[in-house]
Amino acid sequence: MAPSQVFDRRKTPETTATGQVPTTRSRRRRASPSLIALAFLAPALISLIVLRIAPAAVALWESLFRQSLLQGGTVFVGLGNYGDLFGNADFTNALLVTLVFSLIVNPLQIGAAFLLAVLYTRKAAGAKIWRSLVVLPIAVPPAVSAVVWSVIYRPDGLGNSFLALLGLPAQPFLTSPQQSLASIMVLLSWIGIGYWMLFLIAGINDVPSELYEAASIDGASAWRKLWSVTFPLVRRPLAFVLVADTVSNFLIFAPVQILTKGGPSGSSNLLMYDIYTRAYTLGDLSKAQAEVIILVLLTLIIVALQFRLLRSSDAA
Amino acid sequence: MSAATAHTGTPRRRTLAYLGLSVLGACIGLLFLLPLWWTFVNSLRPGGDTFRYLNPLQWETFFTATPTLSNYAALLHSDLGLATLNSVIVSAITVVVGLAICSMAAFALAAIPFRGSGAVFIVVVVSFLIPFDAIAIPLANLFRDWNLQNTYAGLILPGLGNGMAIFLLRTFFLAIPKDLVEAGRLDGLGWWGIFRRIYLPLSVPSLIGAGLTLFLFQWQSYMWPLLNGTDSQHILGPIALSNLQGQFNVDYGVMFAGSIVLTVIPLAIIIGFQRYFIQSVSTTGLK
Repeated sequence: MAPSQVFDRRKTPETTATGQVPTTRSRRRRASPSLIALAFLAPALISLIVLRIAPAAVALWESLFRQSLLQGGTVFVGLGNYGDLFGNADFTNALLVTLVFSLIVNPLQIGAAFLLAVLYTRKAAGAKIWRSLVVLPIAVPPAVSAVVWSVIYRPDGLGNSFLALLGLPAQPFLTSPQQSLASIMVLLSWIGIGYWMLFLIAGINDVPSELYEAASIDGASAWRKLWSVTFPLVRRPLAFVLVADTVSNFLIFAPVQILTKGGPSGSSNLLMYDIYTRAYTLGDLSKAQAEVIILVLLTLIIVALQFRLLRSSDAA
Repeated sequence: MSAATAHTGTPRRRTLAYLGLSVLGACIGLLFLLPLWWTFVNSLRPGGDTFRYLNPLQWETFFTATPTLSNYAALLHSDLGLATLNSVIVSAITVVVGLAICSMAAFALAAIPFRGSGAVFIVVVVSFLIPFDAIAIPLANLFRDWNLQNTYAGLILPGLGNGMAIFLLRTFFLAIPKDLVEAGRLDGLGWWGIFRRIYLPLSVPSLIGAGLTLFLFQWQSYMWPLLNGTDSQHILGPIALSNLQGQFNVDYGVMFAGSIVLTVIPLAIIIGFQRYFIQSVSTTGLK
């Protein structure tokens, strides 16, 4: 592997260094390793604490207060903002929409990613080329894909041309309360399936081929092999994909902001967009902060579940 | 292998399966390519022609006999062109500074034995578990108070400390034999020398993987630049593009050309470093 090569390359500069600096060496030996480690860590630690943890802490703190017009400042309201949120029709709708969205889009994407991973690991002409076409959309920034699909979804756009080719009537897509969320799901699947497929292909390639041969000798059908050999052996990457996909789908923002603004009539109002409108359009920052905390907690719960899942699949 | 083939069926059936899988794979692949291909073709024709060949579908929907680069030329002088340049600047600085910061932290976590390394690692993990987009709004409020709104620094800073990049690099650094550290010390190297002369040269593949992580984080971000940098000087490509889409009089040709440019840049980088990209993906999945 690489170490031996680089070891040789390393030797030349160091032999000169040895001669010069015996004093620095002894001085460095005395410096406490904790201090040195801290110096190495400081830039990253500061940026992580200030730019990730602090805003979460600030959101948590501010979610416990409320602007008071009477007293002209902020007053402590405890969990009042959270209580108000759950009594707020827009928020409960956004929560419901996000839940429905997650329950549909995640199985859809992961199922498709798994089947495609199986398809593209079989021997077939040009499998690598077709596979990379499926992966291609991951290079497209989310905002760009939303803009492109906004044209596809126009009444006179590419989407309806295809429906016409199949003899189907034109659909309203984004302007229909029944179709807006589904339209966003299709766009997100176009982006996401290839990405998640990469993890599953890596998992499938790790399955020893002797297992398939053994199953073939036992006369197992292709479906049977898929279900009894491939599926259990890629459980680990599957569990990872399940959690990572769920978390990323909780945080969908660009397509909603660009395509539907949460509408029509709240039908595509996902949590992230609801937080955004609450903070900037409605200007109710303390409730928006409470909503941020709810979202962070939701994702943390899912990640915690991941660790449980992975541990139990290790044990099995 | 011969035993396996004997049981999978007759050669004729296997050829049929081979053909079927090839055709199916090709159809699905082309279907995924279609939106991007259509975008590309439309970027090569005047904006007025975008909807001309859509009803009914015809070969000209997906091909053009008279390609023109005029949309790309127009892009050069547009706000979108400037915004794309901003995206390049912001991403490039993020990768260079972010790699320095993250690799130093990963080195301290992987190579230097010190008390409290467990606690530091927990901070890294926690910060990595808090999704950035979720805390973007409270952070944007802080940045407004700190006068970082509409500055390059404001756009770049959140991309620098990346828990995922630290994690990737730490995993790689842990695999470097400790004997090398000892040898380095005997040769008179301090920790900085060990980091610069031993760890970094050995870790080029994982540095590229981490660099890709940092780059994609910044290039794909939408919410943060929308909250923090929307004046004409600091606007980033994706924001400028979506602003264009919201206007009444859209030149679709230029919009599609901008979409292609914003896609081709990361695509070229991913393809160029494909091997490392796949590597970092599989490391992430295996955790």
